[in-house]
This record gives sequence, C-alpha cells and structure tokens, in this order.
Amino acid sequence: MSDPAIILDSLEKWFPPALSGWRAFLQPFTPPTTPALRGITLEVKQGEAVALLGANGAGKTTLLRILATLLLPTRGSALLAGHDTVRESAAVRQQIGYHAGSDLGFYSRLTGRQNLLFFGRLNHLSDEFSASRIQTLSERFGLLGVLDRQARALSSGTIQRFSLIRALLHQPKVLLLDEPTRSLDAIAAADFRHFLKMEMLAQKETSLLFASHTMQEIELIADRVAILDEGKLLAFDTPNALRARTLSSTLEEAFARLTGRKLYSGGESTPE
Amino acid sequence: MRRILLDIFLFFQRDLRIAGTYRSPFILEAVEALFGAAMFYYVARFVDSPALREALPQGKTYFAYSLAGFVFFDYLNEALDTFDRSLLEARDAGTLEALLVTQVSLPVILIGSAFYPFAGTMLRIAVYLGWAAGFFNFPLGAANWPAVFVVLVATLLAFSGFGVLSAAYLLLFKRGNPAKWFILGASSVTGGMLFPVSILPPWLQMVAHLNPVTYAMDALRGALLNGQGILSLGRPLLLLLAFAAVILPSSVVIFSWALRRTKVTGTLTHR
Repeated sequence: MSDPAIILDSLEKWFPPALSGWRAFLQPFTPPTTPALRGITLEVKQGEAVALLGANGAGKTTLLRILATLLLPTRGSALLAGHDTVRESAAVRQQIGYHAGSDLGFYSRLTGRQNLLFFGRLNHLSDEFSASRIQTLSERFGLLGVLDRQARALSSGTIQRFSLIRALLHQPKVLLLDEPTRSLDAIAAADFRHFLKMEMLAQKETSLLFASHTMQEIELIADRVAILDEGKLLAFDTPNALRARTLSSTLEEAFARLTGRKLYSGGESTPE
Repeated sequence: MRRILLDIFLFFQRDLRIAGTYRSPFILEAVEALFGAAMFYYVARFVDSPALREALPQGKTYFAYSLAGFVFFDYLNEALDTFDRSLLEARDAGTLEALLVTQVSLPVILIGSAFYPFAGTMLRIAVYLGWAAGFFNFPLGAANWPAVFVVLVATLLAFSGFGVLSAAYLLLFKRGNPAKWFILGASSVTGGMLFPVSILPPWLQMVAHLNPVTYAMDALRGALLNGQGILSLGRPLLLLLAFAAVILPSSVVIFSWALRRTKVTGTLTHR
C-alpha cells in the first residue's frame, strides 16, 4: 500500500493576539495565546479527496497554509508526500498546487498566458511543457479566448480560474484548494467540480485537500470530510458515515449536529 | 548557482515585460533628467568661484562635484529602498503568497525583484550624465570607467545589506524603512553629497569619518571626475568591502529570522 499523501500528527497552531498603537511594535515578539488548530491528527490517502468543513475561523485556511509552507505549526507535525513542511519546505512546495481562494496573485499588466508562463518557470518547468499545459487547461476551462488579455481586463471569476490553472500547471501530487469555486459563476463552478471529480481525481494520482462551505461541492467531490470547529477535529469520515452517525438526512444537518449549531430552514447555521 | 541566476533573470524579464506595457515613463524621466542636470548647472554657475573650486576635494567645478553627489545618492537610495519596495509591492498586489509557494526562495525573489529597478537606476544615471556631458560640459572624458564600476559594485554590496534589513523590518512591522531614513538622512549632511565634509563642525566631521557613505562618495568622485584607478582607491574600496562583509551576512541572518517569525505569527502577507 502506498504512503499517505498527507499526515497530520497532533498539529497545533496558536497565533499571538493582534496589537495596535505603539504596542504593535511588540507584535512579532508576543507569545501566541489564540488557538487556531488544536491537536489535529488525520491522514489523506494518495488519490483521495478530503474536504475541510467548518464555520469561519474553524482553522481550515490555517491548516491549508501550514501545508503550503506559508505558516509554521506551533506543535505537532505535518508531512506532505513524505516531507516535513517545516524541515523540507522546498520539497513540499515541489509537490503541491496551492490556490488561496482569492482573485489576487496575478500581475495586472501581464496577460494570463504571460502570468502562467512566469509561474511555470518559477516552478522550474520547461517553457514547452508549460505552454502545452496552459493550452490544454485553458481550452478545458474555456479560457483560450482571454488567455492573451492583460489580467487587469479580466473578471475576478476568470482570474480565479487562471489561479486554479496555475495550481494545476506542474501536475502536483497534492492539491490544496481554499474555497476553489468562491468567485465562480454557477456554470463555471459546476464545470470545475466536474473536472476535479471526473478528470483529475479519477486517475487516482493526485490527492486533494480543499476547504469549502458548499455542501453540494463537498458531496460531489470529497471521499471523506474533516469537520473542524474552533480548531478541533470533530469528525473525519465519509459523507455517508457522517450522516449515519448523526442520524441526519443531509451533510449540512450532520455538520450542524456535530458542531452544536442550529440549522435554519434557509440553510444557514448559527451557534446555539 | 546557475539555477539561482536563472531565477533572478526571470524576475528581471518579468519587470521588463511589465515596464514595456507603460510607454511614457521613460521619456518623462529622461526629460526630468535634463531639467535636473540644467538645475545643477545653473546653481553651480550661481555659486561657483575660484575659492569654491579650491575648497572642493575632487571635481574641477561645483557642477561636476554636485551632480556626481546627486547621482550617487540616487544609486544609494535604490540600494536601500529596492528590497523593501519589491516586497511591499508583491504583498499589496497579492502576488507574494503565489510566489512563496513556488520553487524560488524569498531571498531570491527579493534579489530578482531588485534587479530591474537597479538597471533602471543605472540607466537614469547614464541619462543624467549624458545630458550633463552633452549640454553642460560635464567632464565625462576624465572618468576611469572600470574604477567607477568597481566602486558602484562595492557600494551596492555595502549598502544593500541595509536594504535587506529594511525588508526584514517591513516583514515584522508592515510599514517604514528605517535604514533608508537613517542612512540617507544622516548622509545628506555628513556624506559629502553637495558640499565637502571639511566645512562641517569637528564633531560632525567625526561622524562623517565613521559613515561609510563618505568613503563611497569620495571613491566615486575620484573615479568619475579625477580618473583615479582601482589601486589608488584601495583604501575606501577596502573599507566598503569590509563593511559589506559584516553587514551583508548579518542582514541575511536577521531577514531569515524575521521571515520565520512572520510564519509563526501568521503575518507574512498582512498589510
């Protein structure tokens, strides 16, 4: 059996409190007192898709940023493709495709193609390989027509799709996506989910860890769901098992029961 | 090493491409340089006198002396400012995070992003000197160009450490460039930019002798205006290199610590 793509062992992350005024000068030296992740232990298998589900501030983005080597854990460890995210961060970055969920991160005066080629070069891909991948993926996502337009002339949804292409460009072993369909219109979002499920994950060569608030997306893509609440891992199982365990008919209901939140008919959940 | 140089070149290429999408700034800067050179020329004509020329340690005219001082400070400003500015731009444009998950390390990102602004500054200085020589008789023919080049490289090595320290400060405190304020501020008085340090009161002359900018300034004027060779500039060059040997490694260590600290506090990409 192959090694897990991601191994989190008692992972903890604490942040210092935000200081203002003259005390902001003490910020870098302030001890961390605010927990963001509390003892997370889980494994993501190779080829598996795992969704991070939790309310705002539950720790989903923090977890993804630790795996992307943008944050250092306070305690515990995170291994990605067998590499420690702290001690072997360069090796980890070689294996990941990271999408931060924003429509930022592109040079507005460069075209989509120029931006993607630049980031491909920074990942040490040959121009031939990058050009071919850019062509294939842009065609797949219907972006060929805007590939040579400056990023400043593109909508936020289009830039977000370019950002997803950038994460996929070097065929990473592990994809880390933070709300990947947040700025996409309904059709583009459905298309991207279909791509992930039917074209990328079906080959079982790439693992996916993604944060999402969209239950439909989680149901469609995720093999297993990690439910986080205030930095704690409350449950980690398949959507069916989570529903069965909580005697719920929907994943949303299961989430509300596990986190102790009240579910309104409109679908919004709030703390009890 | 080859990989690092290639990565640095990628940033230069990126910035060149971005600059190519703006057409007018270069023309406007070139015109501004002409007015700047003219201003120094007429100020010099107003104040120049045989007594003043006697008092100048280098340079045949006050025009040559002051313009050399000005272009050197432009260069120094770039060395102190460029790392901090490139980090700030990447952070504010949201590209910093995207860059940090690539195969290129943050120090290489900073050095690479500094390359084009430096090339731009060199070009601006060349335009300044070109106007000055073409229209106002600046004595470019006297320059020892290999020595000018060596002085500029030594200056870059000596002061870019402060630029890296400013980038570390920016990572930690999000705004401000104390190295630039302090060094440029202090050196505008004690660095000998527009007047010789010999006219300063004794205690400020002591400060000037402790300030490496004074040595770099003297060396540049010696090479550019008096045609002094590398060997005759040995003392200021050695002082600059000794200064670089201390400040550059220290700044890299402090920057690495600051980077690690921001990954601990989660403020790496905060504004």
